[in-house]
Amino acid sequence: MRNTTKMLAALTSLALLPTASSAYSVRSPFPGSVTATTYYSSGTFHGAVDIGASSCNYWGAETGVVATLSWDVSIRTTGVVCNGNGSGNQNEAKHAWSDGYTFRQWHWIKTSDSYDRTCDRCQVGNIGGTGNATGPHAHLQYDRYGTNVTSWYSVSKGQSVNRSTDVGSIR
Amino acid sequence: MPVSHVSRASVAGLLLVLSPVVSAHAQTPSPPVLKAETCSLDGLMDSIRRGLGSKSEAYRGYLRALLRETAVTLPEAQLRDAFARERDPAMVEHLAAALVARTDRGLESSALDAVRERALGDADPAVRAATVRAMRRSSAIERTGDMYERLMRDASPDVRREAATNLIEDNQFVYSGHHGPAADAAVAAAVGSTDASLTARILGTVSTEAISADSQARLQRMLRGGDSSVRAAAVTALGGVPASGMKSSRESLLAMYREEEDPEVRKAILQSIARLGFSGAVPDLQRLREVDPRLAPEVDAWTRVLGMGLQEWSLLLREKQRLSQAR
Repeated sequence: MRNTTKMLAALTSLALLPTASSAYSVRSPFPGSVTATTYYSSGTFHGAVDIGASSCNYWGAETGVVATLSWDVSIRTTGVVCNGNGSGNQNEAKHAWSDGYTFRQWHWIKTSDSYDRTCDRCQVGNIGGTGNATGPHAHLQYDRYGTNVTSWYSVSKGQSVNRSTDVGSIR
Repeated sequence: MPVSHVSRASVAGLLLVLSPVVSAHAQTPSPPVLKAETCSLDGLMDSIRRGLGSKSEAYRGYLRALLRETAVTLPEAQLRDAFARERDPAMVEHLAAALVARTDRGLESSALDAVRERALGDADPAVRAATVRAMRRSSAIERTGDMYERLMRDASPDVRREAATNLIEDNQFVYSGHHGPAADAAVAAAVGSTDASLTARILGTVSTEAISADSQARLQRMLRGGDSSVRAAAVTALGGVPASGMKSSRESLLAMYREEEDPEVRKAILQSIARLGFSGAVPDLQRLREVDPRLAPEVDAWTRVLGMGLQEWSLLLREKQRLSQAR
């Protein structure tokens, strides 16, 4: 009986422990369909979610995390590129948490909205294919210390998504 | 197709079985009357007002999220009018959060301006506190000028407490500690506050990894303050300054240690010196060991932890806490 009481007290204290982080939903930056997740069709590791759309420079690319966050926006390509212009040239919006986990969105085309900003699902550019890309898409990646997290997304290849679709959950 | 035949037969059978029930139901004397309604802010507000009485925290959370998510499609003028008219602090908080959401979702910044004005100027302290709460974990710190400095001097302790919580949570959850202007705003508001406990709470919690040289100078001036909790918090804040300010911080803290009499503040100084120098801080800590024999075990614990070769402050701090508890 005493042991049970002790166990209950311990469980209660665990339940009351403050949590250091919050969970955030991640939604699609624009309407489209999932073209790759953990592996490409070729079997090569990808470790992120790609969402493609048939038209380039049409939809605005929104930040996907459902929360107000400060976004660090890096412009590496200023022109309209839809089908790739080489690895490392992708435009990027990222938020790095203090524990090193980082959420990144790549490949969008620079617009007047492409600057460092603090916002909740706001546009940082238009859908495009800057960097290492074969067509217009968004690459959504969650990583830490150079290793991609592959457990955060819940969509599968071929699935249609729109801006209210939960792609996954992070933190 | 045999399967289709079976399916059709099943459906026909089911309809036959259900038909008396359906017709009986149709003959009930007073069927519910459905009225056409348009979705409106008033209707949404009524739902929220009713929902506030719910005992379910999850349901109340759902209603909060519902209004925030709907805010982007509601007419701004209607939302602002409802916000201006509302006097119930709970509803004011919901409406203010909806206006803040509009600005954060990339719509007009004037929505947040209305919230700012009310947070600073409403006569009811409960409404001011609710309005401040509505700006938590938003971009308000960047868009409201000196609002937080003024709120930290508000006559109501509730308003000051809510403002302090916003500064801490925004720094942690919106900016993840990396945003210099947000940290500078938090330091400025904390330094200008008339409430020592809140000043200490902000300075002891907010990340200073990206603060400006001006903010660091403000923190260094606070080392000579009269309240020991504020001094300890300023010491903690100086332990986390960016690389460009580390040398100056370290020198201030080393000079302060000999004059400081409060052992808790001295402990904070030892911790900040360790944080600023990692293993390079060991010679400084050894020199301070003889100043206060009561803190010699503390110095020894830090020396031991810094010799473990750990590369992250969070790991060093955890190991130090483990050693302190093991003694």
